Amino acid sequence: MKKTIGFLLAGVVGGIGSGMFGIGGGIVLVPIFGLLLAFDQHKAQGTSLVALIPPTGLLAVIAYAKAGYVFWLTGALLIPGLFLGGILGAKLANRINPRRMRQVFAVLLFLLGAWQAFGASKR
Amino acid sequence: MPFIVLLIGLCAGVLVGLLGIGGGVLLVPAMVHMLHMDQHAAQGTSLFVLLPPIGLGALLEYRKKGDVDLRAGIFCAIGMLFGGYIGGLIAVPMSSARLTQWFGVFLMISALLLWGKASKPAPPPRLAISPEGQP
Repeated sequence: MKKTIGFLLAGVVGGIGSGMFGIGGGIVLVPIFGLLLAFDQHKAQGTSLVALIPPTGLLAVIAYAKAGYVFWLTGALLIPGLFLGGILGAKLANRINPRRMRQVFAVLLFLLGAWQAFGASKR
Repeated sequence: MPFIVLLIGLCAGVLVGLLGIGGGVLLVPAMVHMLHMDQHAAQGTSLFVLLPPIGLGALLEYRKKGDVDLRAGIFCAIGMLFGGYIGGLIAVPMSSARLTQWFGVFLMISALLLWGKASKPAPPPRLAISPEGQP
């Protein structure tokens, strides 16, 4: 029971991140699974992917679409690449050292975040 | 132009499989900087892209190795449905510049979490919520 509530709460937190920032929420879920719920890394990632299968962002998309913030055509073009890239990435994750890869990605993400956060104030 | 869009999708897809995430963290900045969309439009479009089960292929790869906790994932998904709506309601009325700043801060925090996770391979299961097989 406690576990179930934990999973639901993890979902709500991931969902708020998802709706606020237009992302899948996995970037929030994977650390929650790994650091708080003590899943090992591959299991955290596999389980996060389960949570991303149903259209969990539906209500959020509706909220954005009402305000005219959805570009349908660009979105449709992005979908095939994501699907194929996903299989490719999963095969890579099972082969290469995902730890090093994650560190590289973390650095890139941090730089991108800093650029966004500080670049925006100049506009 | 469509070629760039397809390529962005593929790059984000590799992250889907590699890191078990949705790929939106790459899609949103790529749409803002490469396709010159504003922050709200990039986020709304990213959410739309993530509606179909784009991670299904990746999920099946993980499933082959037994690295999937279905029950945890399903409960998480239920929570995300409502959390997503709350997040959308918070973001839509914000100004695009402010939202971009928040997004940047969010990326930096995610990066730190990701780094922490990468350098700590096996945390001891000591919290109230424990993994399968423990009370």
